[in-house]
Amino acid sequence: MATDNANAGGFGEVSRVRGIVFEYLSFGASVFGLVALGVLLVYVAIDAFDLANASPEWLLTYFLTLVVPFLAFCLYSASDRDVTRRALGALGGGLVAVAALFTAVEAFVAPIPRLNWQLAYLFVVAAPVSAYLAYVGSGGRVGAVGFGLLGRLVGGVAIGLAVGTLFLVFDPLLWFLAYTLGVLPAVGLYAVGRRRSTPRAQTAAVPVALAGLIAAVVLRDVVATYPSDLIIYLWTVAVPVAAAGGLLVAGRSGRTVAALVAGLPLAAAAAGGFLAAGVGLPGPTVLLVLVLTGVPTAVYVSRVADAGEGLAGLGLPLLLGAGAIAGALIVEAWGVPAPDPWLDGSFLTAAPSRTPVEAGLYPAIVGSVIIIALVAVLSFALGVGTSVFLEEYTPESGALGTLTRILQVNVANLAAVPSVVYGLLGLGLFANLLGLGIGTAVTAALTLSLLILPITIISAQEAIRSVPDDLRRGSDAMGATRWQTTKNVVLPEAMPGILTGTILALGRAIGETAPLIMIGAATTVFRAPDSLFSRFSAMPMQIYTWAGFPQADFRYGVVAAGVITLLLILVGMNGTAILLRNRAERGS
Amino acid sequence: MTDSTESPDLTRRDGLKRLREGTYGGLFAACAAITLLTTAAIFVTLLSDAVVFFRSISILEFLTGTNWSPNPAGGGQAFGIIPLLIGTLVVTATAALISIPVGTLTAIYLSEYATPNARSILKPLLEILAGIPTVVYGYFALVYVTPALKATLFPEMSTFNALSASIMVGIMTIPMVSSISEDAMSAVPDELRQAGYGLGATKFEVSTGIVVPASISGIASSYILAVSRAIGETMIVVVAMGAQARMPEVQQALFGIPFVNPADVLLESGMTITVAMVQITGGDLTGGTLPYNSMFALGLALFAVTLVMNILSDIIAQRYREEY
Repeated sequence: MATDNANAGGFGEVSRVRGIVFEYLSFGASVFGLVALGVLLVYVAIDAFDLANASPEWLLTYFLTLVVPFLAFCLYSASDRDVTRRALGALGGGLVAVAALFTAVEAFVAPIPRLNWQLAYLFVVAAPVSAYLAYVGSGGRVGAVGFGLLGRLVGGVAIGLAVGTLFLVFDPLLWFLAYTLGVLPAVGLYAVGRRRSTPRAQTAAVPVALAGLIAAVVLRDVVATYPSDLIIYLWTVAVPVAAAGGLLVAGRSGRTVAALVAGLPLAAAAAGGFLAAGVGLPGPTVLLVLVLTGVPTAVYVSRVADAGEGLAGLGLPLLLGAGAIAGALIVEAWGVPAPDPWLDGSFLTAAPSRTPVEAGLYPAIVGSVIIIALVAVLSFALGVGTSVFLEEYTPESGALGTLTRILQVNVANLAAVPSVVYGLLGLGLFANLLGLGIGTAVTAALTLSLLILPITIISAQEAIRSVPDDLRRGSDAMGATRWQTTKNVVLPEAMPGILTGTILALGRAIGETAPLIMIGAATTVFRAPDSLFSRFSAMPMQIYTWAGFPQADFRYGVVAAGVITLLLILVGMNGTAILLRNRAERGS
Repeated sequence: MTDSTESPDLTRRDGLKRLREGTYGGLFAACAAITLLTTAAIFVTLLSDAVVFFRSISILEFLTGTNWSPNPAGGGQAFGIIPLLIGTLVVTATAALISIPVGTLTAIYLSEYATPNARSILKPLLEILAGIPTVVYGYFALVYVTPALKATLFPEMSTFNALSASIMVGIMTIPMVSSISEDAMSAVPDELRQAGYGLGATKFEVSTGIVVPASISGIASSYILAVSRAIGETMIVVVAMGAQARMPEVQQALFGIPFVNPADVLLESGMTITVAMVQITGGDLTGGTLPYNSMFALGLALFAVTLVMNILSDIIAQRYREEY
């Protein structure tokens, strides 16, 4: 730059101070919000897990049994000497730096409330290094296998619990009839038609399904005796999931492996379900969790075994499980005082209460799951339909083109309408005018669907637009109609993008509170909702209610646990969306 | 699939197929129509109840009244929007004081200074700020920010106050300013920057003297969007700001110039339009009462303001955009 030639009596001399100051100022601005949020999240995590009362010995034990093996696994997977050196340097240097800095600040400036240097080290150094190493480690074969398995286990448990929750609202007996009479014959017919390539059989699947559904509704009250819930779930969920898993594997690995992949988890889940029911635990939920965790895991393991790479990664869940048990044993034997976290099993399974220790989030979680499931179906269907219409069915110019532009502007404006106004729409239209009821799950689901519809449409449009035109023209040249092109070419190509956008929008819906208040959602319910028309509460609603309680145990304990639960669910959803997108980007 | 006859009849009309094509086209059109219906439904719902409200309370009284008490204990309802407007204005302006400078500097850093690597990490992280549920921000403001401010800067602060709520609204709207502004700045062609360097400008001079002016329409529209978002923000304010519709106390300074002590507004509780709406939901929700209808009048005011601002931001972005 001009500073190089600074000899002609001031000409060309430029002070760089201003530029450097500005660069650092703008860098500071870009991390300002993140740092502020990070500090707040650290504090809310400390409160939720009662880490302020964790003794250094307790922290050290779990650091050694859980964090260190995890880091070692990531380093082994990355097998990069540079990464190892940098990570160990950061961990060691960070230890000295944080301890020194913390002691200095405590001594000379002011004591920092509810934070000691061990916790600060954990959050400021250990957590970012772990995240970085997990990112690098998942790039290696072993790490990819390990994280893939871990993700399937966690995701399976989450989906199993969610499906079990949905059956609290949707009549399992009706579902049993609908599945047996409608879904199963239709799917069978469709599969046969596909196999023999007879389109008539495939087309016939739709009327068969409809007839079966109608028959199910009619027969629901006629049939007197039904099998137990456990058998219904086994027949309608576990068997088809296992069969799908077996079919996935059969093409590649042969029948024996497929039978194993389908049979082992199914047998384990059935045994687990009946055992749990015998002991007095909720058998159907155990069955669902086991089968939805077991089958994807088995499919994944067989795939990894076929590929024969990174088999060591399958040990990651064992490593972590063993670490947790070892940590618990050591803490027990040592007699170290352990923290008493607010966020624990009883918090997730108990009903709200006036006493902080007994308060739980269970009815609110159930409410949120039910609403989100409905919103997902509604906004996905409407969003995809609208975006297909805007992108594939309307011309750019002419009278219809004007209509498209109007629709486009309208969607953009709807996206910016404040959420509280959507709440008024729900109250005035769905709750009062259509009589769906004030504060019912159905009203909430419809309101939230309309709220996130613009976001879903905009992201789905982007996904559809990014499908290359060559593919469409190719399909047209084969004589395909517009619907055939859309169905066979455009939608499959755009689906990862559409799903990513929908999941991100659902993340927005799960945290929305203002519309729920406006439609009169209950501030607290003590029983989980048992129908779509019963009063419900949702997680953000419950957090809002608790935040208004004056007791410190609520403010700093129970609400913190609720916030962490909500944020963890959000992280899980957004993480899934990002994984989907990355996989689609790698694939194309 | 056509039949395998010797010469397939390509112009054959297949009734079933045409029916199917038409059905799907109609279905998609119906989906699209729902978005239009939503807008219409918002208008009609808000207007119909607001009209009922304005039959009892005149528009003038609503717009100029300085007292808001829809559910008084003793009687004497009053529906004046002025205190709510002041509350909304205070929160919006204070939040803008945070989000606009920070967001603009962030956009400049991302577009001009950051390495591609740093940008690919920072951009998704910033989006997280907009993805956190607002009730969580409100909780943060109430439980962590207010006590921290009370312990350090403002000992006389009340538990529910406008300042911590505004700070959180500001942090939440940073990504709105930064992402739209950054898009506008990245769209400035490199030739302009190179020309600046050719004239001997430093990076600082190029960033602030060339890139920012060239993308000013995008930057301005991002400001308007962020402000519009702040106006409609509900949960942060409901949780952290309390619910007291107050007129700030006007004091007399030297020479009788009236002024309002900012501490009196910022460190005390207040009420925005959105808070007023939420507060009314505590009462009867089946409709027909005056407070119920007033909710829709407030909603209409809010909807109108945000709609105008969004259209304005659109117009600015479209009309004043420099074409390169």
